[in-house]
This record gives sequence, C-alpha cells and structure tokens, in this order.
Amino acid sequence: MSIAEETGFLGKLPKALPGLALLIGTMVVIRLWVEPWMTNAVILGQKGWLIKVTHLNYILLGIIMGLLYRNVIFGGKLPEIFADGFKLSRLFIKTGIILLGSLYTVQAIVKLGAMAIFLIGGFVVLSIVMVLWLGKLFGMDRSMTGVMANACSICGVSAAVATAPAVEAKASHVAYAIATILGFGILTMFISPFIGHALELNDLQYGAWVGTGILNSGQVLAACLAFNPNVAPGTAVSVGEIWNIMRVISIPFAVFAVTVWYWAGHEQPQGQRKSLTQLLVEKFPVFVLGFLAMVLLTSIGAFGDAGIKGGPPASATIKMIRDWMQWIFGIGLVGMGGYIDFKELRQAGGTPLKVGLIVGATKYVLALVLVLLIRDHLVEI
Amino acid sequence: MNGAGTIAVAVDGSPASEAPLAEALRLARDGRRPLLGVFVFDTGWADYIGNDWQSAAGARQGFLDYIRGQLEAQAEAAREQFVAATRGHAQARFAVIFGEPLETLCDLMARSEAETLVAGRETFQVCGRPSVKTLARDLARRVRSLRIV
Repeated sequence: MSIAEETGFLGKLPKALPGLALLIGTMVVIRLWVEPWMTNAVILGQKGWLIKVTHLNYILLGIIMGLLYRNVIFGGKLPEIFADGFKLSRLFIKTGIILLGSLYTVQAIVKLGAMAIFLIGGFVVLSIVMVLWLGKLFGMDRSMTGVMANACSICGVSAAVATAPAVEAKASHVAYAIATILGFGILTMFISPFIGHALELNDLQYGAWVGTGILNSGQVLAACLAFNPNVAPGTAVSVGEIWNIMRVISIPFAVFAVTVWYWAGHEQPQGQRKSLTQLLVEKFPVFVLGFLAMVLLTSIGAFGDAGIKGGPPASATIKMIRDWMQWIFGIGLVGMGGYIDFKELRQAGGTPLKVGLIVGATKYVLALVLVLLIRDHLVEI
Repeated sequence: MNGAGTIAVAVDGSPASEAPLAEALRLARDGRRPLLGVFVFDTGWADYIGNDWQSAAGARQGFLDYIRGQLEAQAEAAREQFVAATRGHAQARFAVIFGEPLETLCDLMARSEAETLVAGRETFQVCGRPSVKTLARDLARRVRSLRIV
C-alpha cells in the first residue's frame, strides 16, 4: 500500500460504482424532490421562504450532503466501498469546466483579457508579496511561507501541492497550509451568496468578485453556482470561472517565481532545479487546454448558436450541454463536500492560520471594494 | 497474532517519541516483556488533498511522491531511534505499518498484537496531518491499555 494513486479510469470504474451511485443518487433526490419542495413549501405564510431566506439551491445542498456523509453519517471517514466513487468527483468537475468553454467565444475572451489579466495578475502579485512580508514579520518558516504565498494567491490546494516540493516544504507544513486555505474557503463559499444578494450585486459583479477574492478554485465554482445555479453566458459561474482559469494558468509561473525567491542566495541542488519550461510541462493543468478547445469549437459554431448576449438564442445542442453541466457540477460538488474533513480543519492553527486569515480576508474585502468601484467598467461577456 | 505481554510504542524518529520510547523500554525491562516499535506510514494524503481537481496529474502525483519520500525518511529515522534506544533488549522489534495513524494503532490493539500501547502527546506531528494533534486524546478514548507520556 502506498500514498500514490492508481491511474486508469476504466480500471477503477467497477470499484467506483457504489460511490458514483451515491453521488448521482444524492443529486437526483436533491434536484428532483428536495429543491422543488423547498421552492413550493409555504413556511411562515410565504411560498418558497426556505429558498428566499437561506439562498440554498441544489449546489449548496449537494455540498452540505457531501459534508454530512463524511463528517456525520460515516463518522469522519468515507467507507472503502464509496471512496473510489468519490475520488471520481474530480473528473466530473474537470469535465464540467471543459464543457464550460461552450459559454464563451474567442472574441469574448479577448475582450475580457486585459481586464482579467490586470485584476487577477494584480491580486496574485499582491497576495504573494503580502504573504512573503507577513511570513518574515511573524518569523514563519521559509518553506512554509513559500507554500502559503502561492496557496493564498492562486488557487489554494492545487498551488500548495505544486509548490511544496520546489521549496522543500515539510509534510506537516503543507498540511497546515491546506487546512487553513480550505477552512477559509469553505467560510467564504457559504457567506458569499448572502453578501452578494444583500448588496444586490448582479452576476457580472458577483462573478468578478468571488473569482478574484476566494482562495480556492473549487469554492469559486461552488460560490458562483450557489449565487445563481444557471449555467449560461453572463451568469455568475461564467464570469467567476473565466477569472479563475486565468489564475490557474498562472500556477507554473508563480511556482517558478516563489522557487527563485526561496533559493535566492543559496545553491539549489542540481536534481531539483527546474526551468520555467519544465514547470510548464509538469504543472500546467491540461484540462485548461480542453476548455480552450471548447471555446474555439463554440466560436466557429460547431455546436450551433452559443446564445451569447445580443446574439441569436442558444441551439438545442448548446442547451443540452448546459443542462449536462448543471448535473455534472452538482454531482462533482457532492463529492467535493465529501472531501471536507472537519476534524482536520479544526486543528488548523498557529502562524499559517494567522497569515492565511489576514491575506485571505484582505483579498476578499479588497476584491469586493474594487469590483464595486469599477462596477460600471466591468467587461460583459 | 498473539501479542500477549507485548508493549507497543509509537515512534516517529523525532524528539517527541524519546520519552514514550524510554517509558516503553522501562516497562518492557521491568516486566521482561517483548517490545514492538511502530511507525505508521500515513496513507491518507491523497484523500487529504481531496478534490484537488485543478492540479495537473504530474503535479498531484509529484506531490504525493514527495510526501512519500518524506515519510520514508521519517520511518527510517524512527527505526534508527528505536534500534539505538533498545540496544541490548533481546525482545525488541520494529514495524512500519501503512494506514491512518489513529485507525492503525487502534487496529493493532484490537487484533491483540500488543497488550499495552505507549504513545507521546506529540508523536507523528513531525510528519502528520493536523488531526494527529489529537492522536493521544483520540487513542485514550478507544484503547483501553494505553499510556500517554
């Protein structure tokens, strides 16, 4: 037994079936029975009170069910029989993100490019500098500071995982960085829809805010769909995710920058030294290429009209893809909830928690203020 | 396996396991009992990094390999620490067991591979996930014949 992962989707499939059945069954029950019931139930004399007050939709309900499975129903650990199926939720979300490419055209992405690069790039650099400064101020271990710098600035766990080997981070350091990022991300994932509705943000403003301000990518996705579960051009998820993908693309560059910072003035061992090109090959998330291919296919009309604002309505194929996406994200996010282990998160603490909270909260609030300031200049796609 | 009389001690190769190791050794010598040193090789990391769907496959696996390397080094340090501490004690052996630390130690005791378990308050924190901070407390809830040092 080892901590390496088995690969090969087809090989894993038979063992994954029980877990998959639980994920799918949960989402079917939520979407076909629970959510419609909540929409129609009359509570305190008001129809749909549960939805209006709690802002719960199938996405948040799915994540909550995933959380309950792991932390309550199964007592803190997914049973072996379901574990492999829950692992496949990663594949669902990746597939959903690739299909999300059907919401954009190349023209829309080019139109958005300068603003996204300015906002995302600015926040990535700001967060890295802030963590490096705070790390020095609080006397945090240098490799821990490196991991936290990228985890707080790009996309949480993925960035921590990509950075740790390059800065010789200890296993326990990475574990604390991950717990901090996930804990903060879960908090923002649940409160952001409330704040967004309270401030009467529209989808464009909300998507730009959470896409910039939330630390972890999975939680950006969940927060956007929790605000507006519709998947179509111009909805919160289409805005937040394009922002988020810009961040994900920057992972290899940020790993390179933090590695250079970490080894400054020291001789990096020969076998460990990696060029930017090597990092791009190793750390670049390939599914982003799938997303871009989908954007290209949509732009050339491979699926019919994309239903972009101001254009002809979406074709039947595009509508079908969007319907699938809702199911795929819903199922994937039940799985994501199933990976949130409260026992681990409760133990996060010390300087990493302090630094993570300061940087995370600053970024979250600053992104909101900035979006409100430039609300009339945000580029619609 | 019949571990009647055996004293098991959780060892991680760090200063955190020096006191429990000394206590276990004292008990073993006083009672002329066999001593079993245990390092738990945590297999929960892939699960812990969770739904990390943004990572490139190479980055994810590279990270898991990197952590495995650290755990292997820690296991070796634990073995050396145990061998050095138990030199001269005839009935001492060391084992690396794969699994989740709490569950693995509880299973070990449930399978009667040892009669008494000795653990430190900070054992495995040197290379562990945040939940090992409460390992001693969690063991106290589930293992009857336990000594926390």
